[in-house]
Amino acid sequence: MTNLRRRNHDKYMMIALLPLIFCGTVLYGPRVLLLNAVALVTARIVDVMVSMVRKQDFDGHDNSSILSAIIFCLMLPVSVPVYVVAVTVVITILVGKHLFGGKDVYPFNLAALAMCCAAVNWPDAVFSAVKPFTKVDFFSGRTAFATASNASLLKDGAVPAYDTFQLLLGNYPASMGADFVILITVLGLYLMFKKRITWHVPVTFLATCGVIAFVFPRIYGFSHFDSFLLEMLNGQVFFIALFMLSEPTTTPHTPKAKIIFGILCGVMGMLFRYYGSFEIGTCFALLIVNTMDGYIERMVSRKDRVKVEKDESVPQPETAEPPQPQEAAASTRRAGTMKLISEAEDNLDDVIYSTRTIDINEILKLEEQQKQQRKAGKKNEK
Amino acid sequence: MKNKDYSYLYSNWEDTVRRRKVFLSNPVFVKGLALAPLVVAATTVHNGILLCIAVFFLLTPTRIVTNLITRRMSMPLKTFFYPFISAIVFSFVYYYMYKLLGATVLVLGVYLPIMVVDPLIVKNFEKTRKESLLYSIINGLRNTAGFIVACIIISAVREFLGYGTLLGVKLIGFAPLPMAHNTFGGFLIIALLSALWAQLIKNYKYKVEVEAMHDERYNRDAD
Repeated sequence: MTNLRRRNHDKYMMIALLPLIFCGTVLYGPRVLLLNAVALVTARIVDVMVSMVRKQDFDGHDNSSILSAIIFCLMLPVSVPVYVVAVTVVITILVGKHLFGGKDVYPFNLAALAMCCAAVNWPDAVFSAVKPFTKVDFFSGRTAFATASNASLLKDGAVPAYDTFQLLLGNYPASMGADFVILITVLGLYLMFKKRITWHVPVTFLATCGVIAFVFPRIYGFSHFDSFLLEMLNGQVFFIALFMLSEPTTTPHTPKAKIIFGILCGVMGMLFRYYGSFEIGTCFALLIVNTMDGYIERMVSRKDRVKVEKDESVPQPETAEPPQPQEAAASTRRAGTMKLISEAEDNLDDVIYSTRTIDINEILKLEEQQKQQRKAGKKNEK
Repeated sequence: MKNKDYSYLYSNWEDTVRRRKVFLSNPVFVKGLALAPLVVAATTVHNGILLCIAVFFLLTPTRIVTNLITRRMSMPLKTFFYPFISAIVFSFVYYYMYKLLGATVLVLGVYLPIMVVDPLIVKNFEKTRKESLLYSIINGLRNTAGFIVACIIISAVREFLGYGTLLGVKLIGFAPLPMAHNTFGGFLIIALLSALWAQLIKNYKYKVEVEAMHDERYNRDAD
């Protein structure tokens, strides 16, 4: 069930990304398709190669790396060289996904990791922007119409001179597919309507970003509302909120934890944008918050658990067991094994996205350990 | 002769690991010592060689002097004395290196003096076992060799990936992975190299095991 749910999530995300790729192709030409194809094929090849090296069966339904590669690719300008995309995808999927265990267990958001990796390596190629409807060379990506991106301008203290309506449409020098704010909002509503993502993380993240941009404007001489508009419409905030912060592997699962996660991402993201050395501060912030998401979830669930434990009357453990005949001992051992299995099942119910199965060998090992401990205890008594 | 060697290695595997400090218990790739200077400063082979010279002059003398002085000391005092002596030795080493190489020593900045308190140099204070003078010399030289191998490998890989050059000679026209000369890239590359090193050790151990088993069976058949 969990695998099916994850698979469906990937499928719907891919469907939601298709209009963005189409819009990018209309605005910036067929090179958008080339770059996306390179990202997709590289991600698939790396997955297959790793499964060959690890001598495992290749899972064709695992589309997480492809999805992350396309999300990363859409955040780049169309003039980016092909090898930048390919090398970054290879590094990200090797180091970020497979070195941490592969499918469903990687701790960091792959698209954010890829964006950070590319930004550290090739900042000039990543933070430029190309004017729409201009000529870009299909293979080399050379163009005479490349400028600094709006996020870079804001970072340097300048103000991008574009109409708010154009900013909403995405009709200005920007990345391939991450700046069409209206289209992205519609796609987000579609995903929420289809129940593939929940409102908690995107809404809290956007609200936090908006409040910080409104209360603490970083551009001198502009009103609070202008600062709010500029910060929210530039820097791919909506795209990150909907496509990066909704990945099931690297985000919490309970609503309370999701809200805390969204607020933390917003605060850290705006801090990185204001004081960090790169324009895409939110991706760096997301990597840091990813290290905490397990803790946040445990912290929230611990409070609930404490309430439950207080209500129940917990039986006290017996101090000394009387010596039992063989049949009774066997029956108690069996009961202990069944209890272990039921506990393991309960734990599995808590974890929604998990591929763990109950291993009978582990239970037998535990049983043996308990036996040995009992023996040691008896010896000590003697 | 070779087979005999393998069976000996297999029966005394822990001793072998302790003795072979270049490959089987490399101070950098296996024990994870001296990471701070390697991650930050060893971005080119030139810097790597400077670090190697510093370690060569620092590690073994510190070990010998401390061995002689702290022979009858209790643990807390020994702990205090080890960095103290390494700092005194470093002041001689620093002036000698300055005389030998000139201002190029300053390239490494704070990452040369930081070697004084690095676990690579002062790790021995945690040992309760007393070692003989000869053993401290041999062990110091082994550790130095292990560090030099690791440092040269790391700095060469980082220089090639970060600048596309090797020892300042241009090999390819562009930098394949510019993040290699950052601290972030340094951590990543050392981690990947350590993983590769661990795999090599695993393969070697497997080979020793197989050869030793074969040898044992051969001897049994001969008897």
